[in-house]
Amino acid sequence: MDSLLRTLLDQTINGLTVGNVYALIAVGIALIFGVGNLINFAQGSIFMVGAYIGWALVTRYQVPLIGAFLGVAVVCAAIGMLMERFALRPLENSARIAPLLATIGIAFALDQLVQIIFSPNPQSFPNPLPPFRLQLGGVTIGAIDLLIAFVGVGAAASLFYFLRFTKLGWAIRATAQDREAAQQMGVDVNAVNQITFAVASMLGGFAGLLVGIYFQTVYPTMSFTWGIKGFAAVLLGGLGNVPGAILGGLVLGLVESYGVALLGPSYRNLFAFVILIAVLVWRPNGLFRRNRRTPPEPLTGTFIPNQKPVPIPRWTIVALALGALALPLIVTDPYLLQILTNAWLLSMIALSVSLATGTAGQVSLGAAGYVAIGAYASALVTTRLGWSFEISLLVAAFVSAVFGVLLTLPAFRLRAHYVAIATLAIGEIVTLVILNAAWLTNGPLGITNISPPSFLGWKAVTAREVYWYALILLLLAALLQWRLLASPLGRTWRAIREDDVAAQAYGINLTRYKALVFAVSALIAGVSGAFTAHMYTFINHETFTATTSILALTMVILGGMGNMVGAVVGAVLLTALPEVFRGFVEYRYLLYGLVLLILIRFRPQGLLGTV
Amino acid sequence: MSVKHFKHAIFLPVSAVALLALLLAACAAPTVSPGGAPAAVAPTPSAQAQVSTDPIYIGVSGPLTGDRAQYGAQWKKGFDMALQEINAAGGVLGRKLEYIFEDSQSDPKQSVVIAQKFVADPRIIVELGDFSSTASMAASQIYQRGGLVQFGFTNSHPDFTYAGGDYTWSTSITQNQASPALADFAVKTLELKKLAVFQLNNDWGKSTNELFTKRVQELGAEVVTSQSYLDTEKDFRSAITTVRDANPDGIILISYQADGALIAQQLRQAGLNQPLVGSASIQSPDYIKLGGNAVEGTYILGEFNIQDPRPNVQAFVKAWKAKYNEDPDLFGTLAYDTVYLIKAAIEEGGATREGIHSALPKLKDVPSIVYKKITFDPNTRRSQDPQFNILVVKDGQFAAWDGTKPTAQ
Repeated sequence: MDSLLRTLLDQTINGLTVGNVYALIAVGIALIFGVGNLINFAQGSIFMVGAYIGWALVTRYQVPLIGAFLGVAVVCAAIGMLMERFALRPLENSARIAPLLATIGIAFALDQLVQIIFSPNPQSFPNPLPPFRLQLGGVTIGAIDLLIAFVGVGAAASLFYFLRFTKLGWAIRATAQDREAAQQMGVDVNAVNQITFAVASMLGGFAGLLVGIYFQTVYPTMSFTWGIKGFAAVLLGGLGNVPGAILGGLVLGLVESYGVALLGPSYRNLFAFVILIAVLVWRPNGLFRRNRRTPPEPLTGTFIPNQKPVPIPRWTIVALALGALALPLIVTDPYLLQILTNAWLLSMIALSVSLATGTAGQVSLGAAGYVAIGAYASALVTTRLGWSFEISLLVAAFVSAVFGVLLTLPAFRLRAHYVAIATLAIGEIVTLVILNAAWLTNGPLGITNISPPSFLGWKAVTAREVYWYALILLLLAALLQWRLLASPLGRTWRAIREDDVAAQAYGINLTRYKALVFAVSALIAGVSGAFTAHMYTFINHETFTATTSILALTMVILGGMGNMVGAVVGAVLLTALPEVFRGFVEYRYLLYGLVLLILIRFRPQGLLGTV
Repeated sequence: MSVKHFKHAIFLPVSAVALLALLLAACAAPTVSPGGAPAAVAPTPSAQAQVSTDPIYIGVSGPLTGDRAQYGAQWKKGFDMALQEINAAGGVLGRKLEYIFEDSQSDPKQSVVIAQKFVADPRIIVELGDFSSTASMAASQIYQRGGLVQFGFTNSHPDFTYAGGDYTWSTSITQNQASPALADFAVKTLELKKLAVFQLNNDWGKSTNELFTKRVQELGAEVVTSQSYLDTEKDFRSAITTVRDANPDGIILISYQADGALIAQQLRQAGLNQPLVGSASIQSPDYIKLGGNAVEGTYILGEFNIQDPRPNVQAFVKAWKAKYNEDPDLFGTLAYDTVYLIKAAIEEGGATREGIHSALPKLKDVPSIVYKKITFDPNTRRSQDPQFNILVVKDGQFAAWDGTKPTAQ
């Protein structure tokens, strides 16, 4: 019993320490959300930059720790202010989704920049703290645990003081409450925004430095894993709720720690995301708000811009489709055909996201999950049962549609940003289940020797055949989606997007129509995944990752929300760009991030506009 | 049709055409080989490639950006050094040997595109990589059909050489070979009876752990707890608490270098001082650099020992240190070895794709830094009878093990 207690105490301390770091990241996200109504996807990258600046100061220039904290504060605050001034403020009057995408572009650019400057290798961060350990009845606490606790509590206390008792703090709170009113009262909302970014980035940077010391390593890819936990913590606490974010971080840290103790480290993220979904279902406002109604958030009507799309005559689309079909007769370079094949397969995923996000207003960041379900369904049916590809494709379509509804069911009651994070978590859960359910999926070893795509005995093996097969599937999917959008069903979905309360008042059963939209969306994504699995002939849990989901959403936003041609254009563009930049080797993803930023800057409503 | 409408109407086709042109331009753009010199623009397809003095090209598909970029960076160092040596000594068959490294981020979407590019590029006679099995095996069929040998020198996935067919080869030791040897060493040689395992949860880690545990049980010992973790995991404190409560007499690391070092550090911080036994994959200077004092005394069933007294190994280690100011790691050394293996294959079969394909099964005892000698088993297309080196971390170095067993706790 004594050892059990000791274990419990140890796990509690582990959980609180990690939770404190989550809290620091989360506070930054919550602040920016509160003031700017924006989910800052670059927060993880700023966290990573903070870790690197601190590491460079301590190990390369032998700066004492306090100096490192100052350095991190200055650099990260500066990055935050620059980011606000040059990447986000110009987008102020465009759709809310545009700055969100801009932060994704900034994250890309920062991650690559750090890799180029400091090399992609993890760097050792020798502990600059005295190696003392506190013994408390069998439980040990190190200097770093205390430092993290100190910084966490200190930051929370100063933030409280700042927001509560200073003029600037009032201005920030006023802006968060009502931007226009604050402006009328003479608050310079731009300055407030900039300061919020500075403070948020500084806190993120501190968290990075602390994590660097805690694990004695810094590495460029720490941004994504920690950033996503920051989002989870914010949602646990309730979006835009600063004390909630802190508590959310601590709860997340504790839950993970106990989860690992029960099932092992592989389940850490699974625990984190399952808890997140559970909280969203039962307490959509976060753990710490009594009100059960979702707060008045800018709904998708304003969330997604209402501008006229670029009109595209039908003959152009038909001509383009015919041109694409005829292309392999002229172009025989398999490299080019493979790029376009990838683009067609990604177009299907983009179409699927476009349907959920653009048409019905349910921002979907979980597409990769449905793609993976389709891929595994088809691969398992062909390898284990020996069914042919035509049949397995139908099975995959059906299975992903069913799972598309069942998995997203918990998110039906949520709105806007909440749906985005919930679907992201669902996508992650699918990947983690694939990894851990080895009896079905063969775990990380994956499924090998999947037969190539075929149709009634004909096999698609050459680049040209695969190209045609993929393109035809895309055209079929597009036709289905176009027919649905032109039907009353499409109008109903758009009505839900524009105003779900009004839609409900007109007697539309929201749950049913959301279920339908996710079923169709998952079906299209699943077909793409099934074809991809057979094209690769090998899949495992790493084949379809969260980056695929983010990529698909980026394509949709770039092309224009709900715009089918736009989704395809976005997919072709984002598949082609990294290839065009191939010659730049290490710099190509930096360029990719910058091009993304520029495109958003000048076409925030998407290249072809929203439908 | 008004002008405005006309503008809109032509916007899409024009942009589509522009994009296509951009793509075509990208295909034609000269690839800069990471060695620095721009690779020659594709030669006009003269059929007489054999008598030409053009360089011979190796295609490499691997991660230079993204999560796995660190491994691609090590590969590059190994390739650069081997090619510099070979070309300074007159090249192969009187021609220079060069490589074209395409960044795949170890992402299957990109590795299949690169595979098509390499297969279509007549200059390339053999392909090396990719790094992860996810990316490598997605491209295997394309190489197989294109008649271009895919040589995966870090692919330990047991099915890798069967993902393509007779054009898929590897020197990598599979888990089927390494895992029982690791168990034998821990249980029989070090006499550890209660083992705790940390296992990286990927294809390699999982099958290694399964085979390892099976062998441990056959030997009458016990795995008291097994903690599998994702490659993004950095915080092992919770898992370590579980390990502590299981009270093992030895701890096995089925890890890569960075995560292995983190585990070692956090174990020692938590006051667990049991002997550490690691798989070959933790053998990298980074393990020592990141792990510091905590990794002292780690036993490794290594594939490669930089203190190996063989003269070619010592010459290699010296040259590497002079060039890069660091000790070579396994991934860089494997890359270096592989270039020499390809050289041997070209000399045996000629500088063509078919030449390489026919030469690989005929190669006998090709000298190797890591594996001592390489001869392939033509059925599995992997090397026969791989050798292991037992190492121990001593004074911040990987040293050959002198036979001392861990002192009892």
